[in-house]
Amino acid sequence: MSYLLDAVNWPQIWVITAVGYSVVFTALILLIFVFKFMPKMLNMQLKRRLKKEGKYVERTEGDEPFIAGEVNAAIGTALSLYFSDLHDDESKIITIKRVERRYSPWSSKIYNINNVLPTTHR
Amino acid sequence: MVSVLTGGDASAQDVIQGGTDSGSALSRGMSTFWQYTGFSNITIGNIVMLLVGLFFIFLAIQFNYEPLLLVPIGTGIILGNIPFIEGFQIGIYEDGSVLNYLYFGVVKGIYPPLIFLGIGAMTDFSSLISNPRLMLLGAAAQIGVFGTFIGAMALGFEIHQAGAISIIGGADGPTAIFASSKLAPELIGSIAIAAYSYMALVPVIQPPIMKLMITKKERLIKMKPPRAVSKTEKILFPLIGMILTLFISPTALPLLGMLFFGNLMKECGVTDRLAETARTKLIDIVTILLGLTVGASTQASVFLTKESMMIFVLGAASFIVATAGGLLFAKIMNLFLKKENKINPLIGAAGVSAVPDSARVVQHEGLKSDPSNHLLMHAMAPNVSGVIGSAVAAGIMLSFLM
Repeated sequence: MSYLLDAVNWPQIWVITAVGYSVVFTALILLIFVFKFMPKMLNMQLKRRLKKEGKYVERTEGDEPFIAGEVNAAIGTALSLYFSDLHDDESKIITIKRVERRYSPWSSKIYNINNVLPTTHR
Repeated sequence: MVSVLTGGDASAQDVIQGGTDSGSALSRGMSTFWQYTGFSNITIGNIVMLLVGLFFIFLAIQFNYEPLLLVPIGTGIILGNIPFIEGFQIGIYEDGSVLNYLYFGVVKGIYPPLIFLGIGAMTDFSSLISNPRLMLLGAAAQIGVFGTFIGAMALGFEIHQAGAISIIGGADGPTAIFASSKLAPELIGSIAIAAYSYMALVPVIQPPIMKLMITKKERLIKMKPPRAVSKTEKILFPLIGMILTLFISPTALPLLGMLFFGNLMKECGVTDRLAETARTKLIDIVTILLGLTVGASTQASVFLTKESMMIFVLGAASFIVATAGGLLFAKIMNLFLKKENKINPLIGAAGVSAVPDSARVVQHEGLKSDPSNHLLMHAMAPNVSGVIGSAVAAGIMLSFLM
């Protein structure tokens, strides 16, 4: 480390600082512009498509262009409550059910050794 | 154990084999064993660092200050400061040791982009998309980075070291580690510990500055609720953001590329499994490795230096400057905004990219003035733009100084 301030190239430091800070601002300002105009462009496209399909309705003055966050939150909470209240649809009859099985010869008693051996008839 | 104990004047084998002169052999063996223990090799520096490690763990458990970071870092500090004799591939700075292999990810800047991937996959940018002008606050708070750069140069640091130290002002641990791994690898430990310590102390550092700069009347300002953001906008944000910011600052590619990629996985709706892994298991694994190895890199012999102390002082100053920069810019923005569009200047403090802690602090401070004024959603916009801003700032530093 050099503690001699005179040895530091201060003009270079100021240039890095000024350029760096302005580049950070430029990058984010560009993003601001893009995302400020993007919803308008997307809406324009949607409007054109709806007009073509004849479904477009002109918005009256005073209409909210977007649903407010609070309204969304209320709808979300209501849906969440509704869905958390739902259960699987059960028959509500709790009994032992007879299970139907397809026939299988495996371990079938009719093929065991007792049935294969000839039986003596008295 | 035996192989470890051989090497001094006597060895453990002497103890076992020396049947005739068993008394002296035993004492020699015991003395050799003693030489290899931590008790024999401990220094004051080790004791100080062990106390620092324990203090970090205490802060995390008792006050819940960034526990996911401070517990691994605190444990790492303890591990890194257990005294040992070098030459047995134990320490983090010894080639071939396990900790050295894990530290490779820090030195080569591998872990920070993976953390950014996870952050991208867990961050909801909708508040930013709905009110893009709040991004300016994230840019304004980067005054911390450039102010620290000037401060570090004034304190006599070499220009590359000053560039690495300056990123602490971005309040972004992974970015600070990434930049210092490229610009001043010898300072990684100090820079990372300073950055993470101050990030953990955001709830302590920021409120007094807010009280000092923002009037009671300004704190009561209620902002318009953010509009709903469509899915298309959410998908386009990472794509446009990635292309735009990386064209301006290509050196930030590993960080911003991963951040926006993670966000794309989250928002596109067809890669839920990947996004889920990135924001849970992957980021957890990398955080454990990063925290532990950064902590272990603070061996007293390497860490307790005058430079480290100065870095800590600069770190504190940079957090204060960044917070004040964000708050001041929010106040200036209000001068140009219509009454119904005015912003609560408290959210300017969230421009430092300590996500989501500084946004949480803003919410907390807002509620203190008006219990019905919820600022969290609004504060998240400058907070995440601060992440982008600090990565861009780090990229600029790298492109100027590398």
